[in-house]
Amino acid sequence: MRRSLAAVAATLATLSFATACGDEEKPPADSTDAKVIELTFADGTVTPNGDRVEVAVGQDIELDVTADEPGEIHVHSTPEQELEYAAGESTVTIKGIDQPGVVEVESHELDQVIVQLEVR
Amino acid sequence: MSPDGYNLAHGIGGAKDLPISPELAIAGATAALVISFTVLALAWRTPRYDATTSGRPAPAWLASIVDSTWWRVLWRAAGFALFLYVGAAAVFGKDLVINPFFGVFYVWWWVGLVPLSLFLGPVWKAISPVRTINLAFAKVSGSDPERGIFAYPERLGHWPAAIGLFAFVWLELVYPYSTELGPVRLWVAGYVAVMLVGGALFGNVFYERADPFEVYSTLVSRMSPWGRRDGVLLIRSPLANLDATPVHPGLFGVVAVLFGSTAFDSFKDSTRWVKFVQGSTTSSYLLNNIALVAFCVGVGLIFAAGTMLTGLGDDLRRRELPDLFAHSVVPIVVGYVVAHYLSYLVEVGQLTLIQLSDPFSDGSNYLGTANLDVNYWLSYHPTLLANVKVLAVIAGHVLGVIAAHDRAIRILPPRHQLTGQLPLLVAMIAFTVGGLYLLFAG
Repeated sequence: MRRSLAAVAATLATLSFATACGDEEKPPADSTDAKVIELTFADGTVTPNGDRVEVAVGQDIELDVTADEPGEIHVHSTPEQELEYAAGESTVTIKGIDQPGVVEVESHELDQVIVQLEVR
Repeated sequence: MSPDGYNLAHGIGGAKDLPISPELAIAGATAALVISFTVLALAWRTPRYDATTSGRPAPAWLASIVDSTWWRVLWRAAGFALFLYVGAAAVFGKDLVINPFFGVFYVWWWVGLVPLSLFLGPVWKAISPVRTINLAFAKVSGSDPERGIFAYPERLGHWPAAIGLFAFVWLELVYPYSTELGPVRLWVAGYVAVMLVGGALFGNVFYERADPFEVYSTLVSRMSPWGRRDGVLLIRSPLANLDATPVHPGLFGVVAVLFGSTAFDSFKDSTRWVKFVQGSTTSSYLLNNIALVAFCVGVGLIFAAGTMLTGLGDDLRRRELPDLFAHSVVPIVVGYVVAHYLSYLVEVGQLTLIQLSDPFSDGSNYLGTANLDVNYWLSYHPTLLANVKVLAVIAGHVLGVIAAHDRAIRILPPRHQLTGQLPLLVAMIAFTVGGLYLLFAG
């Protein structure tokens, strides 16, 4: 009885892992269109405020910026990227990120996370 | 903001691991549940581990090397050389995140010590520069490094180490200027000063009980195959070795800080917390302070309740129980540290080796490592990485449950052995499932 119980437990555990391992790495989606994210800087705040955004490996990210003051955006990918934007409306592009992971995009001036890019 | 434009509030290291998939998190949680109750139902009924008999002596050739004076001197010298080298970078180097002092401090020392101790035994004890300085003082003054002016107060136990560990995680995870040279250098100077005064007052026992890094390293080394009894080098199963962990007051405080802070590190990057902190009018510094304390204290309380909610015989006091069971959380801590820090250790660890060649950030290549490239293979295989992480958490959980079971049947009276284990089992499942949830939601 004990032995069979243990076998059932081991099988269950193995099965649950086997099913979880099903989704293998997807091929990089270099050809897809750029992801567009709208950013608004106004009165010392920024929207979005720390949201998760899924992007594909290698996919460019286009930031449509509306800002009351010029500033700088830091992308904590490996290697890092720094982007400057002007006051008013402008568009800056984060080059496609090749390494899967969670990458924080921060406002240099506000010291705030704007979005976390989930690169997969 | 640092002179090179890196955001300082960010700590070191760039991209973080992807969250694990919900399927994997649920699979891991299910496995933890099933395994826990299987162990409880099927495991042995008489205690198996006995520190006075377990293990067998290591082969004579190995023991003669490890016990030789030259071996000890070699590692003391190596540890001290690294201390001086990195110390020079800290004192004379530039305030840039490429200063290898940061990588050695946050990655090699804090994270690297775990696998080193897991495989090689109590590594920090062997290389600790504060022990080396204390030894040198003793040699010069002709005194015994083991003895201080006073006897170490027994009831202090490991509490000073728990406080020291908290001071480290606070600096790393909460303090906003954790990658500025001045504050980190000051922290290390404070650590060295406290350790030297403590060593002078209480002798080497101070390092064994109160040095946060030695306590952490030695505790993890209890899961290595290397043990000692009466000075003899032993090879024994990690579980038997773990069971031989000496129990001192505050041991459970140490594991609570280690687990709670690692969990907080996962939690603080979750979207929910980031949005809450940034949307709140309360300062993020205050909120993070509160959350770190809450995680450590919360883990401590859950664990204390899990161990204390049992029937007892006359030979035990209830408040001794958390420390008596604290060793069983060590595998859970190690499993979670592997899950949380594996890619960080492998990748930022390599980066640190590269940076070490240029301690003063002037383009030097002292060690010949400056032109190496970091291998990001692990990050490029996120599914494999996620599976390794969950397996580490589950393996830690299984070992923890077994360690707790053996301790319970040794110290609890027979009629309370089964029911007495249940609350602790629930606490451990809460830690593991909570940890998996954070890996999924982080």
